[in-house]
Amino acid sequence: MRKEALESIREKGCLAGNQRMSQILQLRNISKTFPGVKALQGISLDLNEGEVHCLCGENGAGKSTLIKVLSGAYQPDEGGEIVFDGRKVALNPHLAISLGIQTIYQEHIVFENLSIIENIFTGSEIAHGMFLDRRAMRTQTVDVLKYLKSGLDPDTRMGDLSSGEQKMVEIAKALVFKRRVIVLDEPTASFSSSEIDNLLEIIRTVKGGGIGFIYISHHLEEVFKIGDRVTVLRDGCKVSESGMEGLTKSRLIKDMVGRDPSTFYQRERVAAGEVVFEARNVGGNGVKDISFALRRGEILGVAGMAGSGRSELMNVLFGNARLERGEIRIGGRLVKHSSPKAAIKNRMCFITEDRQSTGLFLPQTIAQNVIVANLVNVRDFVLRPVDDLRTGDDYARRLNIKTTDSRTRAINLSGGNQQKVVLAKWFNTKGEIFIFDEPTHGIDVGSKQEIYQIMVDLLKQGSAIIMVSSDMPEVVSMSDRVLVMKAGGKAAELAREEITEENILGYSIGDSEI
Amino acid sequence: MSGSEAVGRKSGARLSAFKRHENLTPLSIFLGFIVVIVILQLITQGISRFPTFISPVNVLNILQQVGVPGIVAVGMTLVMLSGGIDLSVGMLASLVSIITASGLTKWHLGVPGSIAAGVVAAILLETLMGFIISRTKVEPFIITLGGMITFQGIALLVSNSREVILNGELNFLKANLIQGAKDPATGLNLVIPPYVLIFFLIVLLAGLLLKFTKYGRRIYAVGTNPLAAYLAGIDVKNMKLSVYVIIGFLVGIGSVMLLSRVNTGIITLGQNLEIDTIAMVVIGGTALRGGKGNILGTLIGVFFLGSIGNAMNMLRLPSEVQFVAKGLVVIIAVSAGDVSSKVSEFVARRREQA
Repeated sequence: MRKEALESIREKGCLAGNQRMSQILQLRNISKTFPGVKALQGISLDLNEGEVHCLCGENGAGKSTLIKVLSGAYQPDEGGEIVFDGRKVALNPHLAISLGIQTIYQEHIVFENLSIIENIFTGSEIAHGMFLDRRAMRTQTVDVLKYLKSGLDPDTRMGDLSSGEQKMVEIAKALVFKRRVIVLDEPTASFSSSEIDNLLEIIRTVKGGGIGFIYISHHLEEVFKIGDRVTVLRDGCKVSESGMEGLTKSRLIKDMVGRDPSTFYQRERVAAGEVVFEARNVGGNGVKDISFALRRGEILGVAGMAGSGRSELMNVLFGNARLERGEIRIGGRLVKHSSPKAAIKNRMCFITEDRQSTGLFLPQTIAQNVIVANLVNVRDFVLRPVDDLRTGDDYARRLNIKTTDSRTRAINLSGGNQQKVVLAKWFNTKGEIFIFDEPTHGIDVGSKQEIYQIMVDLLKQGSAIIMVSSDMPEVVSMSDRVLVMKAGGKAAELAREEITEENILGYSIGDSEI
Repeated sequence: MSGSEAVGRKSGARLSAFKRHENLTPLSIFLGFIVVIVILQLITQGISRFPTFISPVNVLNILQQVGVPGIVAVGMTLVMLSGGIDLSVGMLASLVSIITASGLTKWHLGVPGSIAAGVVAAILLETLMGFIISRTKVEPFIITLGGMITFQGIALLVSNSREVILNGELNFLKANLIQGAKDPATGLNLVIPPYVLIFFLIVLLAGLLLKFTKYGRRIYAVGTNPLAAYLAGIDVKNMKLSVYVIIGFLVGIGSVMLLSRVNTGIITLGQNLEIDTIAMVVIGGTALRGGKGNILGTLIGVFFLGSIGNAMNMLRLPSEVQFVAKGLVVIIAVSAGDVSSKVSEFVARRREQA
């Protein structure tokens, strides 16, 4: 029992040495359609033993959907097939695990208060009858940790480990249970650079034992360090697959972008006015040294990969996180935003990314949602509900919210209409400086265009907009300038004529040679 | 004001209650209440010949019984709307009664001084709990549970574990406002003490506060989604603190009324008050998770629970059975409320799809 896990790993290592390129997993012509969206279209992909196959693509290219197909969480559409070890399989989450496909998600799903051993074995304990075999579980854990050259005490509480160490434990778990394919989704998102090197070293060790990796990362440096092959996805389609030889970063970036710009939304441009908002060397909340100026009638796009600090910056600007360094000026006047309340009084508005949990009061009516942010500016203590309804109805009509009247509850509206309720809430404050964090996230195409038009109308009225977006066509088509962020700092500021998908992606990934 | 708006509002008012799903939950509670009243009336008519359940003398009787819990239930409604709860009100009421009674008999603070001492103590203690609840992430359930135990201890310490008997100093609070009025059917004396009027006054004020003020709108926002409320410029911490200050004041005056009824400051005075008031508020359709409910619902809940207790007394049911019945009422009322809100949401969704 004791050395079983390791032996099997070594065995496979020999095997891999003998017949180097034996194929474990093959996806053929996989498509996945959701109502109104083709998330994947005819993807084919294979994975060999002892290989790291990297998946690259922008946010929303279809990587996550593909992972969910691999883990059995999503069933692919008719016509596609998945072949594991030469056998056709119809994956479900249980079968995926028992075949040996382990998916390790970006967010750690761990029991923080349990030890490393308990985290590895919870749900699949080694037991004799009803008694746990603690010794066997301990020795297996110790062996695998040793194999991974980790000095961690197996009794350490999971919550006390760094994110890099937690990821290592999840890989250790895959080894204990002799998984053959490990899918890593953005494993290094919250890692320090030494942790990244450690993880890559672990992957090298493990793949030497014949295990195949599907590796998803925004960081091209990692892809070039660890990958054996790279597949690029864009808008749900496979764009290219190549070995590492002769591959360059700029080639990859070209594959990841490369849409036809004429299909983008064409917005009306507005003459820019005076500077209304200025950030000087702003820092705090994981953000460092950001400076920019924003003029009336202008949209400043803020781009960057997930985790580059875009939303964190917005929270600092709006007073929802502490401004530790630098200063903010509105209309030339130095302001201190100790809370969102202060920011609203300074005529700022913040349309947050997660509208359901931070923007809306779901069980409440449209009218109740619309009047709430403006309470800061209301002097009267006594308010009449009829006036609330009139305000609500008025905005419902102006923003074309599909409802009978503003007594409808927000929870019963569609995503696009909910977003309009959030907009109405902020318009009602008569604010002029808008922060849009992912303005069209999860919204259907028709409502998207409406929201773009509403944004342009705001500009015409003299407002200014800061727009955070992961939707590349949106950033390119809507922005007058683009601030590209990377690792909490400013990577570049692009003028109107420099705004291309390639430039934005290049600076977000931090490649200076483009 | 344009013509179309006026028309819109008029047609809104004309919509039947069932079409406006927001009103369905309180409405179903109210209908349930009426049904129970009718049943109780029929039963009491059959058993005791006089007085029946809906006789003036018995209705006034119920009002006297529910006045004090009703005042506290109003405070509890505000606390629960903001997403909190207060388990300490019962023991706090006992403590206030003991402080006020001691002030009158032992410390010689005079009538206004003793009342003030009790009320101020209640406000201070609730403020302290509210401060901890609003500034930390600890559950209000735990903090007020700790408060409940602490107040019990303080009350026992202040009273040396004895009762403090008054000499009728607070009798003016239970004076009959309609002295000499008689029940036409039975000839019994009709009684309306001042605290019944104070109860109605507080209900009215709290109802207006919730519906017609900035404060009311903010309470609902905080209870529904504190995160979104903070981002919408609401001072969530101080809103949460404020509801505990208010309930402190209401428990303070409620306990003084209670003391005037019994003439004795004693640890058992507020026993089960927290359970009764939470039950009343919940029967009235206010959600434990906050943001949903109103004072009208609570008023119905107060009468509902009060009537059932009163009717069971009239029927001479033993107190053991009464507990079982009250408990079942809470469970049935709240489950029925949830079912009816599911039905109304279904109706609303169909209406919006149509």
